[in-house]
Amino acid sequence: MRRLAGTPLAIAGSLLLVSLFLDLVPGDPVELMLGEQAPSIDRQALRHAVGLDRPWYAQLWLFLEQLATGQLRSSLPPFQRKVLPQVWAALPNTLLLTFAAIVVAVLIAIPLGVAAASRKGSAVDHGAMAVAVAGVALPRFWLGPMLIILFAIKLDWLPVSGAESARHLVLPAITLGTALAAFLSRVTRASMLDTLREEYVTVSRAKGLSPWAVLWKHAFRNALLPIITVLGLELGALLGGAIVTEKVFAWPGMGTLLLSGIEKRDYNLVRAVVLVFTLCYVAINALTDVAYTAVDPRVRHR
Amino acid sequence: MSPLVIGRSCFGLAALATTGAWLVGCHPEQSREGIVVLVDSVPDSLDARLTLTTVGQRVAQLISPGLITFDDEGQPVGDLAREYRMLDSRTLELTLREHLTFHDGSPLTSEDVKATFEGLISRAVPSPRADKLEAIEWVEAPEPLTVRIHLKRPYAPMLSELSIGILPRSRALPPDAAKQDREPIGAGPFRFAGQPDEEHLLLLPFESYYLGKPRIRKLLIRTVRDQTTLVLELLKGRADLVVGAVSPSLFPALLADGRIRILSRPGSAYAYLGLNLRSGPLADERVRRAICHATDVEPLLQAKLHGVAEPATGMLPRWHWAYAKTNGCRWDAARAVQLLQEAGYAGPQAGADPSSAPLAIRPRLRLTLKTSTDRFRKSIALVFREQLAAVGIDLEIRSLEAGTFFNDVRKGNFELFGLVFSQVLEPDLLRWVFSSSNIPGPENAFGGLNRMGYRNERLDEVLDRATRVDRDERKQLYAQAQALIDADLPCIPLWHESSAAVLSARLQEYEPSPHGYLQPLAAAREAAP
Repeated sequence: MRRLAGTPLAIAGSLLLVSLFLDLVPGDPVELMLGEQAPSIDRQALRHAVGLDRPWYAQLWLFLEQLATGQLRSSLPPFQRKVLPQVWAALPNTLLLTFAAIVVAVLIAIPLGVAAASRKGSAVDHGAMAVAVAGVALPRFWLGPMLIILFAIKLDWLPVSGAESARHLVLPAITLGTALAAFLSRVTRASMLDTLREEYVTVSRAKGLSPWAVLWKHAFRNALLPIITVLGLELGALLGGAIVTEKVFAWPGMGTLLLSGIEKRDYNLVRAVVLVFTLCYVAINALTDVAYTAVDPRVRHR
Repeated sequence: MSPLVIGRSCFGLAALATTGAWLVGCHPEQSREGIVVLVDSVPDSLDARLTLTTVGQRVAQLISPGLITFDDEGQPVGDLAREYRMLDSRTLELTLREHLTFHDGSPLTSEDVKATFEGLISRAVPSPRADKLEAIEWVEAPEPLTVRIHLKRPYAPMLSELSIGILPRSRALPPDAAKQDREPIGAGPFRFAGQPDEEHLLLLPFESYYLGKPRIRKLLIRTVRDQTTLVLELLKGRADLVVGAVSPSLFPALLADGRIRILSRPGSAYAYLGLNLRSGPLADERVRRAICHATDVEPLLQAKLHGVAEPATGMLPRWHWAYAKTNGCRWDAARAVQLLQEAGYAGPQAGADPSSAPLAIRPRLRLTLKTSTDRFRKSIALVFREQLAAVGIDLEIRSLEAGTFFNDVRKGNFELFGLVFSQVLEPDLLRWVFSSSNIPGPENAFGGLNRMGYRNERLDEVLDRATRVDRDERKQLYAQAQALIDADLPCIPLWHESSAAVLSARLQEYEPSPHGYLQPLAAAREAAP
C-alpha cells in the first residue's frame, strides 16, 4: 500500500519533467511542421489556436484539463486529432511485444543460468556466460537488422517488419529480449550458486533425490526471488528498449508513437505516452510485489 | 488486420495469441496482390488542403488532384482542367474536362471548384495554403464546365496554386470539411478504401478516372521509418515502390540484388550553401566567389550521390521553362586563393601553389558551416571542409538538431548553412528567397526565406514585376534575375537532386515523375504473379 501511495507523486514528477524538457528543447513545433514550403502562413494564429503561445505550465494545465474531460487533442495545428485513441491502439502492441520479449528472455536465461550454475567452472558455464556478455553488449539497433538479414532475407523464414501476424512478432521479441536474457542468466547463475551451497540442498541430495529434482524443485524455487526482483527492475529498461526495437521493425506501438510525437513536437502526444509509460512502470512494480508473495510465503507473513 | 496480409503459417505461440486479438488471422503468403508503396513518415493528413508534408501532398494528390499539374519542364498544364487562358491580366478562365466524377459517384462541375476555393478563401477550413490564394477576389461558375477566377491584382504565380485538390462541394465547408482528413474523396486515379492503422493506407483503383481505371488492383501505402528496414523490405521483395526516401548511398546495395531497378529523372530539389551577407567576411563578394571557386561538386556527385544529381548553376534546374544560363563559377582553386588575397586574407602561405599546399596550420580565414544531423548531409559537409582547407579556409562543421538548426538559420545566426529546397517549380520562389522584402524579421514573423540577408534593389524590382506580366515577359525577367543573382552570389549553388524511384520487378510500366509525384502509378501495371 505504501508503494501505491507514491504513484501520484511519480506521475506528477514525470509529467512536470517532460513538460519542462519539451519547453527547453529548441525549435518551434509550428515552424518545424511548416518547414520550407509555406513562407506566408500566419504562424502566430496557428500557435494561438492550440495554446503554444502560452508558458509551459499553462500548456501542462491545458493538457490535464483536456485529459480529465477525455477530450485530449494533439497540440499540433490545424488537425488537433484526438490523442487517446492513438494511445489505446498502440498500447496493446507494446504490451504484447514486451511480454513476448520476457518470454524469450526467461526461456533463454533460466536454462542457461541453471545449467551454468550446476556445472560451475566447466565449458558449459564459460560458454553460457560468454553468450550472456555478448547479449548485453549487442545494441538493439544493430542486432535487429542483423536478425532481419539472416532470418528474413538469407533464410527467408520470417517477415522483415510490421505487426500483421504472429510471425512478425518473432524477430522483434528476440531483439528486445536478448539483453534481458543475458542479464537474467547471470543473475540466475549467481542466485543458483548461492542456494546450491545451502544445507537443505545437501540434505535433499543425501535423501537420495535425483539431481534433477534437487536442482529444480529445491534449489531453483529458492533461487527465484532475486530473479524476480531483477526481472521487475529490468522491465522499465525493457520499455525503453521497446522504442528502438519498434523503430527498427516498424512495430506500431508506444515507442513508434513517442518518436513520431517528438519528431512533430506534438507535446500533448509526448505527454500522454510518457504518462502511460509511467503508469506501466508503477504497475510493474506493484506486480513484482505480488509475485514475491506468491513465490515466497515469508514475505507475506512479515 | 490489414487485408493485404499474410503469414505463411501460424506460429504455435498459443500463450502469446491470447494476449493480442489481432493475432488470429493467418493467411497463405504466396498470393500477394497489389502494389506496396513504402513511405518514410505517416501522411500528416489526407486532405490536400491541410497536409504540410511531402508524403501527405503526394498521397492527397493521388486521391484528389487539382485543376493544374506540372509538366516535365515545370510548366502548369491542365489536370482536371482541360485548358486555361488569361481573359485579361486579372481574369483566368479554365475549362474542365468532360464527364469528371468524384469517388462517391457525383459529377465534378464548376460549382465544386467554386465551392472548394471559396471554402479556402473564406478561411472556413484552417488551410495553411489559404494565404497563397489571397490574391483571388472571387470565383465564378458561369457554366458547368467553365470556371473563372477573378484576381484582385495581376498575379501570374496564381496558376501554380491551382494545383490544390478539388473536392465535392459538400466537403468545402464545415462540418463535413473535417471528413476529408480521414476519409478523403476526390476525382483522382485511386480512391480511399481504408486505414487499418496509422502505418497502413489502402487505396483502390477508381473505375471512372478520366484517364481510365488504373490497372493496379490494390495500392497499399505503408510507413517504415527506419531507413535500413526500408531497404531490407525492398530486398525481401515485400515492397514495390519507394520514391525519394532511400539515400543514394544505399543504391549500390539495392542494385546488387539484381531484381530491383532504380529509375531517376533530373529533379528540382535544390541543394545550396547559404551565406550570411549581413556582416563578417561573407559580406564581401570576393570571399563568396572564392568559396564558390574552391568547392568542387563533381567528386561528390559521383561518390556520394551516385549520379542521381546534376550540377546546379542557380536555383532553377536546367530543364525548367524559366531557366537561363548564367556564368556560374567553375572549380578553380588558384582563382579562389587570388580572390581571398585581394579581399585581404593573405594567410601565411601567400604565393604557394594552392593545389599542392598542405592544410595550413594557421588558416587565412575561419568559417563555420551549420548543417542538420542527417548523416548524409554531414558527410558532404566534411568534403567541403577538405576542399576549403586546400585554399587556406578552415571550415568548422556544426551539425545541429533540426529545430535548433532552423532557428539559427532563420534568425541569421550562422556564417554558412547547407540546405535543400525540396521542390523548385514556380519561379516566383526566387522572390521568396532573394527579394529583400523576404528577409526574415519580426515584421514577417521570421517567415521570409531570404535567410542570407541579401539586398539588391534592382533584383527586387525585376522579381516584383515578374509576378504581374505574361509568360513570355516573365521568362525574360527571370533570365535577368538569374544573371543578377549569379553576379552577387548570395548562395552557392550545388546541385539539383534527381527524383529517384526504387522499383521491384512486380511494378511495370512506371515512368517516374521529375517532381517525385506518385501519379505515374495510374498508368503502371502489376506484373503477373
